[in-house]
Amino acid sequence: MKPLAKKGMDMEFEKVGEKRTTLNYFAITFLLLWVVMGILLPKGARSLVTHMMIFSILAMGYDVCFGLTNQCSLGHSVFFGGGAYGAIFSILHLKFGILPSIFFSVGAGLLLSLIVGLICVRLSEAYFVIITAIFFAVFHLLAMDMTWLTGGDDGLSIKLPSISLGPETISLYNPWVNYYFVLIFLAVSYLILNRIARSPMGRVFVSIRENEKRVQFLGYNVYRYKLIAFIVSGMFAALSGGLYALTLRYGSADFFSFHWSIMPVVWCLIGGLGTLAGSWIGVVIMSLFQYYVSAWWTYYLILFGIIILLILRISRKGILGYVISRRLT
Amino acid sequence: MASGSNLLETVSVTMRFGGLTALDDVTYTIKEREVRGIIGPNGAGKTTLFNVITGELQPTSGKIFLRGEEITHLTPHIICQKGLSRTFQLTFIFPEMTVYESIWVGVNSRAKRPWNPVTLAHHVADLSQKTQEICHLVGLKEKMNELASNLSYGDQKILEIGMAISTQPSVLLLDEPTQGVSPKETDNILEVVERLSKKMTIILIEHSMDVVLRLCHIITVLNEGRVIAEGSPDEISKNEEVQRIYLGEIS
Repeated sequence: MKPLAKKGMDMEFEKVGEKRTTLNYFAITFLLLWVVMGILLPKGARSLVTHMMIFSILAMGYDVCFGLTNQCSLGHSVFFGGGAYGAIFSILHLKFGILPSIFFSVGAGLLLSLIVGLICVRLSEAYFVIITAIFFAVFHLLAMDMTWLTGGDDGLSIKLPSISLGPETISLYNPWVNYYFVLIFLAVSYLILNRIARSPMGRVFVSIRENEKRVQFLGYNVYRYKLIAFIVSGMFAALSGGLYALTLRYGSADFFSFHWSIMPVVWCLIGGLGTLAGSWIGVVIMSLFQYYVSAWWTYYLILFGIIILLILRISRKGILGYVISRRLT
Repeated sequence: MASGSNLLETVSVTMRFGGLTALDDVTYTIKEREVRGIIGPNGAGKTTLFNVITGELQPTSGKIFLRGEEITHLTPHIICQKGLSRTFQLTFIFPEMTVYESIWVGVNSRAKRPWNPVTLAHHVADLSQKTQEICHLVGLKEKMNELASNLSYGDQKILEIGMAISTQPSVLLLDEPTQGVSPKETDNILEVVERLSKKMTIILIEHSMDVVLRLCHIITVLNEGRVIAEGSPDEISKNEEVQRIYLGEIS
């Protein structure tokens, strides 16, 4: 009679305060590591880490959706691509500066996730996954087809305006500037999302993950909260897409491809759902893997699949979730 | 029309699922501070009545009033905000949240800004104290930092009651709070319910006759979706039709 299932993963949240502090230390350590690495790393590796940090923003944003409110979206490529094209269009057609273009791309993400969210958040799990995936398919096809607008597969290249900081001007063409520019966005994103996760709203998010219907019967408009989580998530995905486009100085229909929908899921699962910073581990592992292993073996993804299965077999909470549960028991 | 003195009132509520009539013309009223019991055999429509009242199901016909205000077609979260709270027959908790957190979420639903995304949750004034009061009231104070899924089944049932009262309801609907619980834990749960009955209006669905006889002022007997008897514990236990339907052909 007694539902004492899931015994192995019970202890994680025993001391919630302590858990959150541990996560904070982890994130700060990670960020400091990136600060130092920016100086130490050779050029090629630095650009790899720049990409990792950009993906970390996408991963963390996705965690708000999947990890906190249990909405497994496969439509985040729409927001990532939307954000990328938001930045590109605003620089290309509206002659925006770098920072306004980033605001513009986040705004594009907000608009897109609002539209997709309004349609999707009321759907139950499997339908939610399928309909968000259909949004990915539609937007990918549109981006490929409307070459006059998006440049299709060939994409659009942009020239970056420089950023003026008082008397100084800096340019993202300088890889150092680019690196620390992205790092600042990663840190700020973490601060914002971590704050949300620890706020009353964040607690409601987590309770929705735990038992959506019960939350409804505690007097919460569950769909509104799920929509908010979805939009926040979409905005950070768009921020990530915008930064990626600025870093590559280029964007194509490829930014809407399934890769950008499925990778966030993988990153979050490896790192630890609902931990925010845990997904960074997923990003690092996956990126290193892609970078090094793909060089000597074409079918490296098979190996990667096996590793994911092993990690999840050991701990369903991912790597960071596992570490924390060890620490606290 | 609903009269003002009744706290909760259903007016000829009928609920059909295809060919099955789960509730048939149920008119039921409850006044402030009453503790009411609903009993009946399996499939009598007890839980369906709760589902209809709390907005989980829309009745086929009929109306429901809370304090004279119609709540028939409102969504569950609005009905909850208006002061109706319930527990569920099968435990329905937040497995990976602590007792404290679970009750905190309910208390927060009555806060000024439950959606506040800026303040740290443990810094929101008042909530922590109210949460602790409720933990104390239901007797889970010592287990506040336990994970809900680590509690015994009986304590999970009590946690559910705690979550239900954390939204400060004026009517509390309890759906078989002692079902599947050991006799010792049953006593714990009934103690909690007894304590609450001094503070709020309660409707209690029960399978076990003893429990209702002990706690309730008025008992309603449902069978096949119809109210077949209503009265004080004495009257009900003497009612021959109730004995025949509910207890089987004993006497």
